[in-house]
Amino acid sequence: MSVRDLTGNRRWLAFAGCCAWFVFTIFPLYWVAITSLKTPPDVVNGPTYFPFIDFEPTLKAWRDLLSGIRGEFYSNFWSSAIVSVSSSVFATLLGAMAAYALVRFPFRVRLLSGVIFFAVAMGGFLLGRNVFGISPAMASILAFTVALALSVFLNRFPLPGKVLGNDDIVFWFVSQRLFPPIVVAFALFLLYSEMGKMGFKMTDTYLGLTLAYISFSLPIVVWLMRDFISALPLEVEEAAMVDNVPQWRIFFGIVLPMSRPGLIATFVITLAFTWNEFLFALFLTNSEWQTLPVLIAGQNSQRGDEWWAISAAALVAIIPMVVVAGLLGRLMRSGLLTGAVK
Amino acid sequence: MAKISLSGVTKSYGSVQVIPSMDLEIEEGEFVVLVGPSGCGKSTTLRMIAGLETVSGGKLMIGERDVTELRPGLRNCAMVFQSYALYPHMSVRDNIGYGMKVRGVRKAEIASAIEKVARILNLSEYLDRKPAALSGGQRQRVAIGRAIVRDPDVFLFDEPLSNLDAKLRVEMRVEIKQLHRRLKTTMVYVTHDQVEAMTMADRVVVLRDGIIEQAADPITLYEQPANQFVAGFIGAPSMNMLEGRIEQVGEDLRFRGEAGSDFAIPQERVASLAPYAGETCVLGIRPEHTHEEGGGDPSVEIEVVDIEPLGPHTLLIGQAGGAKFTGQVAAGTKAEPGERRHISFDPHKLHFFRAGDGRTIR
Repeated sequence: MSVRDLTGNRRWLAFAGCCAWFVFTIFPLYWVAITSLKTPPDVVNGPTYFPFIDFEPTLKAWRDLLSGIRGEFYSNFWSSAIVSVSSSVFATLLGAMAAYALVRFPFRVRLLSGVIFFAVAMGGFLLGRNVFGISPAMASILAFTVALALSVFLNRFPLPGKVLGNDDIVFWFVSQRLFPPIVVAFALFLLYSEMGKMGFKMTDTYLGLTLAYISFSLPIVVWLMRDFISALPLEVEEAAMVDNVPQWRIFFGIVLPMSRPGLIATFVITLAFTWNEFLFALFLTNSEWQTLPVLIAGQNSQRGDEWWAISAAALVAIIPMVVVAGLLGRLMRSGLLTGAVK
Repeated sequence: MAKISLSGVTKSYGSVQVIPSMDLEIEEGEFVVLVGPSGCGKSTTLRMIAGLETVSGGKLMIGERDVTELRPGLRNCAMVFQSYALYPHMSVRDNIGYGMKVRGVRKAEIASAIEKVARILNLSEYLDRKPAALSGGQRQRVAIGRAIVRDPDVFLFDEPLSNLDAKLRVEMRVEIKQLHRRLKTTMVYVTHDQVEAMTMADRVVVLRDGIIEQAADPITLYEQPANQFVAGFIGAPSMNMLEGRIEQVGEDLRFRGEAGSDFAIPQERVASLAPYAGETCVLGIRPEHTHEEGGGDPSVEIEVVDIEPLGPHTLLIGQAGGAKFTGQVAAGTKAEPGERRHISFDPHKLHFFRAGDGRTIR
C-alpha cells in the first residue's frame, strides 16, 4: 500500500495532511523571518502575520545587528564558523580513517587488558594525587600514559577472558554518546582548567573548543562512515593492492574519493552539530572564542524580550547551514560507484 | 614471464580446510585454466597466487622467488577481477596509468604506455571517459589494460567474462587468447564455464573440493578423462552415465545395464575390462556419440522429457531407467514428451568407470 495507490477523496485527504504538516514545520521559520522585520510596536501589540498587509516591514533589527551595537556579533560569527568548519573537517577525516580500519582490519582487544587500563589509570591517578601529591593534571597524564602503554603491551599476550572484536569497538565508540553531554562538559572544563594551571591555556581558545568538538563528534562520524565504507567494493582495493599501491594511497586515492557522498553527508551532520552546539561552548569559552548559539541565548537575558533582534540573530545562525546543506546536498547524491564493479 | 609452482599449498579458514595440500606446476608462458564447480577452491587458489589470501601451509614460488609470505604488491602479478574493480572516480586513462603513477614512472612514459595499450584493446576513443560511461565489455578491457601496463610476470584472471553477455563473452575469449599469443606471459585463468576452459587453455586443471582431479590439455581431458567427475564436467551437454554390470557370456564380454542396454563390448576394450567381469561399473556415453536407432549399434530406451532443437542437430533429453540421458539426433527429428525412443551409440567411443571410486577403466 503506497500513497500513490490512493484515489479520489483519499488522495486529497493525504494531500491536505501533507500540507498541514508542511505549514506546521515551516511556520516557526516564517515567524522568525517576519519577526526580524517588525518594529517593536508590531511585535508587542498582538500578533501580526503578513508584511505590508498588517505591518510595515523594517530592516532596523538587521541594521542594529550588523552594525555591532548588539554585542560582538561578527567575532562570534567567525569563531562559530572557524571552529565548526575546522572541527568537522578533522573529525570527518579522522573518523573516516578509524572507520576504514574498523571495516578492513580485524582487531582483537582482550577485555582483561581494558580492565587493566582502567584499573591502572584510576589507581595511578589516585596514587599520584593522594600519596605523592602531584598536581591532578600531571597525575592523570602520567597515569593514563602508563596505563595505555601497559594495556597495549599486555594485549599481545593470551590473557584469559573475553576477546572483543570490531563490533565491540564500534559500540564502545558510540557508547561515548550515550551519557548526557553535561557530564563530559563538566569533566572537560575541569581538565582544561587544570591544563591552564600547567601553562597550556585551553579554555576560551580555538584549540580547546575544536578538540572538544572533534572528540565529541568522532563517535558519530566513525559510526556513519563505517556503514559507508563497508558498502564499498573490496575488489577495487584488492586490485590496487595487487598493483602495488601503498596502503595510505589506497585510502586517500581510492577509498576516500569513492566514499565522497558519505564523507559529505557525515561532514554536514557534524557541521550542523558543531555549529549549533551550545553546552560545550558555554562551558569552555567566555569572550574571545564564544560562538553564535551562546550569543543568541544571551540576548534575552541581556536586553529583555527584544524578539525582533533575537529573530535576526537566529536567522543569521540558521541561514549558513541552509546554504551549506543546499550546496553540498547535490554532492551527496549516490551513484558515484557506478562503473567500479559490474 | 615466470613459472609458478605450488608445493603442498593448503588453505584453511579456522577449522575448515578448503584446499588440502595442492601441488601444481605452471610452466613459463603457459595458459592454465582452473575450472570446477562453485566452491571447489579455484578462486581461492588464484587469490593465494595473487597474495590476496594467505597460504595456510606449503610453499608458493613465482619464477625463482619464494612468494609465500610476500604481500600482493611485491609479487609482480596483475589481476583481472570478475567485477572489473575499476577506480570509479578516475577516467579510463587514469585507471590504466594509476599503478605506474604511484610507482613514480615518468609522465611521458606513462602516456606512451597508455596509448599503446589503448591501441591494442581498442580503447583509444574512450580514454577520457569514466568507467560509468562504458559498456561491460569496455570496462573489462580497461581492467585488462590496467593489467597489461603492469608488465607482470603473471596474469591472473578471476572469472573475467562471467558478467558479460554470451556474444561478448565469445569475442573477449578470442581477444584474451590473442593477447596471450602476443605477450607470451604466464596466465592463470579461473572459470566455472568448461567451454571457456576448453577453448582457451593450453592446460586445464579440473578442481573439486580443493583437489586436482585432472590437469591436462583440453583434448586429453575430453577423450581420456581420469574419472567420472572430470568426464561429467567436461563436455556440453554432459556425458550420460548408465550403471550396469560387466558379464562374461561365453567368449564375449557384455555390458548389461539400465534401460535395455545390453551389448557386446568391442574387442579393443575386452582386455582392459576383463578383470571387472561380474562387477558393477558405470558406462559413460557422450551425447555427441549417440544417434537415432539403426546401423546395428547398441541402444538404450529413453522416455523423452524435453527436446531442444539447436539447429545443426536436436537434443532429446530423457530418462533412461533411473538415469538422465541426452541423445543427439538429426536436426529435423520430432518427438513429444512422454514418447519412448531408442537411442543408439557408437560402441567404440565409450567410457567405463569403476563403480566404487569413479576412476576410469583403461
